[in-house]
Amino acid sequence: MIRIRRVGPACLAAIGVGLALPAPAAAHGLTGRADLPIPEWLFAWAAAVVLIVSFVGLAMLWRSPQLEKDNAFRPLPRELSRLVVNPVTETFAAVLGVGLLVVTVWSGLAGVQAPQENFAPTFVYVVFWVGLVVVSIAFGDVFRALNPWRAIGRATGFVTRLLGFRTKPLFAYPSRLGRWPAAAGLLGFAWLELVFSGGDDPSVLAIAVLVYTAVTFGAMACFGTEAWISRGESFSAYFNLFSRISSVTVKGGRLGLRRPLTGMSTLEPLPGTVALLVVMIGNVMFDGASEGSPWVDVAPDIQVFFVDLGFGFTTALELTYSIGLAIALAIVAAIYAVGVVGMRAIDHRPTMTIGRLFAHTLVPIAAAYVLAHYFSLLAYNGQAIAFISSDPLGKGWDLFGTAGGTIDYALVGATVIWYVQVAVLIGGHACGLVLSHDRALSQYGKAQSAATSQYWMLAVMVAFTTTGLFLLSQANQ
Amino acid sequence: MRRSVVRAVIVVAAVAAAVILFVVFGGLGGTDETASEAGDAGPQTTQPDSTPTEPANTVTEVAEPEQPAPQVKRIQVRDGAPMGGVARLEYERGERIRFAVFSDTADEVHVHGFDLAKDVAANGSVRFDFRADIEGVYEVELEGAHVQIAELRIEP
Repeated sequence: MIRIRRVGPACLAAIGVGLALPAPAAAHGLTGRADLPIPEWLFAWAAAVVLIVSFVGLAMLWRSPQLEKDNAFRPLPRELSRLVVNPVTETFAAVLGVGLLVVTVWSGLAGVQAPQENFAPTFVYVVFWVGLVVVSIAFGDVFRALNPWRAIGRATGFVTRLLGFRTKPLFAYPSRLGRWPAAAGLLGFAWLELVFSGGDDPSVLAIAVLVYTAVTFGAMACFGTEAWISRGESFSAYFNLFSRISSVTVKGGRLGLRRPLTGMSTLEPLPGTVALLVVMIGNVMFDGASEGSPWVDVAPDIQVFFVDLGFGFTTALELTYSIGLAIALAIVAAIYAVGVVGMRAIDHRPTMTIGRLFAHTLVPIAAAYVLAHYFSLLAYNGQAIAFISSDPLGKGWDLFGTAGGTIDYALVGATVIWYVQVAVLIGGHACGLVLSHDRALSQYGKAQSAATSQYWMLAVMVAFTTTGLFLLSQANQ
Repeated sequence: MRRSVVRAVIVVAAVAAAVILFVVFGGLGGTDETASEAGDAGPQTTQPDSTPTEPANTVTEVAEPEQPAPQVKRIQVRDGAPMGGVARLEYERGERIRFAVFSDTADEVHVHGFDLAKDVAANGSVRFDFRADIEGVYEVELEGAHVQIAELRIEP
């Protein structure tokens, strides 16, 4: 999101005819700030800790599945549950979600077309895309309550039933689709954010939101609100996966707790789950990689190649970044494939079946990637929502009296950012290993077979974590 | 019995590996730190395109006796683009940042993060002088042309 503007001038210089070419459409990103790379000594220590965590993990192997043996729902006291989950709070959350959707589209279309002065970019890319991940990890599937598309779908269903019509979906949701539509939609969002040169433009964002809304309504009309929301809708699937890290959950309208990590081991192995997680990890991997070597060294050459083919400067940049995103997805898929194929040493089921059964082990990795990469964006640009919501259109309003605020960059220092980045990567690594080992035990019975099956999965986790650390050490060098 | 032996062996191996890794990486880290310190000293001494400070600002010299006289770095902008690429200005937190932008076109120079903005006239120059009180990498941008002309790197 930041770096695409940086590569612009570099490419101009590389091409040599730069001054004759127009600047990228959105030369002004959401931020004018980037993280310092993690220092080499911290990289080395972190890599060492990753290996030690893995060794200790091997040493303390438990011999029967722990998470999958006991994943019972522990309801909280009825009064407490009623306080949080009741028709009033549900309606409030739904109205809030729809309201934020409307404000986003409205400010995107009617507001000042400057990313930092308009409500839409900061809300979508910082509060929604990153902030809601943190909220989901802490408090569970909050987005389910806030989801504006689900709210409108349910309201529509309620009204049609009230009017005496029988509401029945036109088609049953094909089980083969699984989470594939969600993965495709998320890839589209990642492309808009990381590749498309106008991705920060408020009006572009508003139109994208409208298109996505239209597609979602169409799909809900075809397959039914719940069927589409629980599987096909990208952001429901995205936040739901992260919410499984949380111990807080709602079951049958009752608020309760579950053992840590068991939310992930109860993930249904639907088709497309691996693809969804590959997109979730791959898009962050690419965003990180695009801030440093080797990407910034090769990107101008690829761009020049496309310019030579006759593409415009901006299109060439977008094509280059599309290739980069595709490479990142391929790398993530390949790393995971190594682990899955490695398990075929003792598991003779089809590769896809094994892949889906272990897909949930990638959830903590995805969460670690998001938190490590976007922590500073959330810490700094997240502050902007306080004053940007007071003047959503950038027209000099002051609805809440906070419009005069600025971002306090002294809130957290570079050192804190480094330690948070390293800590979440190591934490995600440890959780991934635990989940993977537990699933192997439940699948393969004998501890020895489970251990054998996990050598390659250990390599997978080490590969993801060290790649994450490497990207942090390369970024903005 | 056998299991516990295997476990003990793995734990011992892990601890041994840990010790070896810490020694190896710790050693590396140490040399890297000294290496990077030496490397840092390099660019600081070899900043040829920065004009030496005039001995006029003795007031701040007295106020900050530990700091060397901060250099005013020059950023030359021609046709809305920085000559010689995006200038990289490196500081440590607390240091004084001084640079001047010379431009042949009129525009506004915006220092992100610090949120300072000054207009520069055609064939004119504009000076910035402020404290590096936040950390990170910040853009200095020609606001009208949407072109980055320098990056400020402030290390902790």
